[in-house]
Amino acid sequence: MVGKISKKNLFQKKDLIGWAIMLPSIILFAFFVWEPILESVNLSLHTAKGFRIEEFVGFDNYKQLFQYPVFLQALKNTFVYIFWSLILGFFTPMILAIIITETVHLKSIFKIGIYLPNIVPGLATVIMWKYMFGEGRTGVINILLSQLGIEPQVWLNNTMLTIPLIVLILTWKGAGATTLIYMASISNIDPALYEAATIDGAGIIKRVKHIIFPSLMPLAKTMLILQIISVFQILYEPLVLKQGGPNNASISMMMLVWNYANREFNYPMASATSVVICVILIILSAIYFKLTKSKED
Amino acid sequence: MFFDKYGKKEDGAIRFYDLHSMKTKILAVTIFIMCILIMIVTLFPVVWSFLASFRTIKDFNNNPAIIPEKFNFKLFASTWKELKFSRNYMNSLIVVIGSVISAIIFNGILAYSLSIIKPKGHKVVLGLVMWSLLIPPMTSMVALFVNINKLHLTQSYIPLWLMLGANAFYVILFKQFFENLPKELIEAAKLDGAGYMQTFIKIIVPLSKSIVMVIVIFSINAAWSDFLMPYLVLNGSGKETVMVRLFSFQGSNATAVEVLRAVVFSIIPPILLFFIFSKQITEGAATGALKG
Repeated sequence: MVGKISKKNLFQKKDLIGWAIMLPSIILFAFFVWEPILESVNLSLHTAKGFRIEEFVGFDNYKQLFQYPVFLQALKNTFVYIFWSLILGFFTPMILAIIITETVHLKSIFKIGIYLPNIVPGLATVIMWKYMFGEGRTGVINILLSQLGIEPQVWLNNTMLTIPLIVLILTWKGAGATTLIYMASISNIDPALYEAATIDGAGIIKRVKHIIFPSLMPLAKTMLILQIISVFQILYEPLVLKQGGPNNASISMMMLVWNYANREFNYPMASATSVVICVILIILSAIYFKLTKSKED
Repeated sequence: MFFDKYGKKEDGAIRFYDLHSMKTKILAVTIFIMCILIMIVTLFPVVWSFLASFRTIKDFNNNPAIIPEKFNFKLFASTWKELKFSRNYMNSLIVVIGSVISAIIFNGILAYSLSIIKPKGHKVVLGLVMWSLLIPPMTSMVALFVNINKLHLTQSYIPLWLMLGANAFYVILFKQFFENLPKELIEAAKLDGAGYMQTFIKIIVPLSKSIVMVIVIFSINAAWSDFLMPYLVLNGSGKETVMVRLFSFQGSNATAVEVLRAVVFSIIPPILLFFIFSKQITEGAATGALKG
């Protein structure tokens, strides 16, 4: 009882110190993360000359944006990006995790190797792959394919291939991190489960299907949302590879923001696009939180 | 023997007793070969960039080969000089050092208050931090840049240093770590009359070497690799980082092999860092990433 009373007295001092200690960090978060989100909204409702806000125009920028063919193309592309990143990016880490878990030789080296692309800077990765997909018979992928008797391809200039190839690059870079997370999760499975399954007559494939896969599902749900969120950040790939082309075939939402900001210096329109992305992401994040909550229950 | 080691296999669906059957043995070998193939795919682009950098542009454009005929290091030296890359390396170093320091201090202190002191209302801050984990800062980059302009902080390293001090992911990593520290030590310090700041410096910091190490490594890599903000803030200032230089170089009329050499220069530091700290990096990536 006595403790409770003194605790109450301490409360205010503790609160004050706690807030004082985190104040500098909160200011940084406010300046770099939170305020810019609000500022985006503010900017998007005005016209501006360079950095100077001029007049309030309500939702005019958004109206203009929604009628802009390139925006509609970017929105459409986003869905194509999501489609491919589900096909290539979602299952790859799961399969990699299962395969690497099942080996006992050089396992730690495989783990390190699979993560290596993750630390290669994003911009360097894209430039590297740009030359990997070189056209003609001297492009390195074409050299490798010629060994199999396949004709040289134009790769990134093929509008049908641009987005899947970009997703392939993203998967190459990102899959390792997810693989390690899945592997950690597989390691936590109680080996007794496999033994029990064996006694029940389950072979290796059945054990993977009925023990490993279900154990990865809750994580996979989270990964799915994170993967979709990451699609909205795609910028370097279309920017470096084909400037969003060929013919805007690979233009992404972020690339549109980039074009407005760095080519046209139209910050209100860039902000309006950002806000649209933010709204979509907030909706997706809400779904994400709901899924992770139900996981904990 | 190849199969003996399976006796010590701890995880995964293949158990040691499965190895009696020939079919499982074949499967085990197949899986090992698949792992090697996976490694080739993951490492090939990086290795190829190094190899291609040794070639001249004439050779690169005309000769469909992967291994260069000779390993001419002079080509690297001349591209380095032409690019004046030393200066960009120096600039990147300045950005990295400042960013790492602010990443440790500001995120660490915020996490300390959120996880140990827990002042009234801290949940609001925590909630905001969690949300910012899911809304990538990239989306509000334009507004941030406009704000930085208003404060006349462009062409300066300051915004880049401070930006990594507001990283939700690092806050969560620190917070998890602090929450798992033995409560008794913190309570004991309190009974000894230590203030919150004293407790932090004398008790928490010495115990936090491992997490600080992880954040240092992650933030070195993040600061080195970042392109968008350094480009907006520093382009044209003479303070361009390696990534900003790489971007303008690949957009210039430089040849493919020259650009690939610049790529190699830009990935050597993170790769060295990775090989020195591969254990901390892979472990940090596996454990910290999701528990937020």
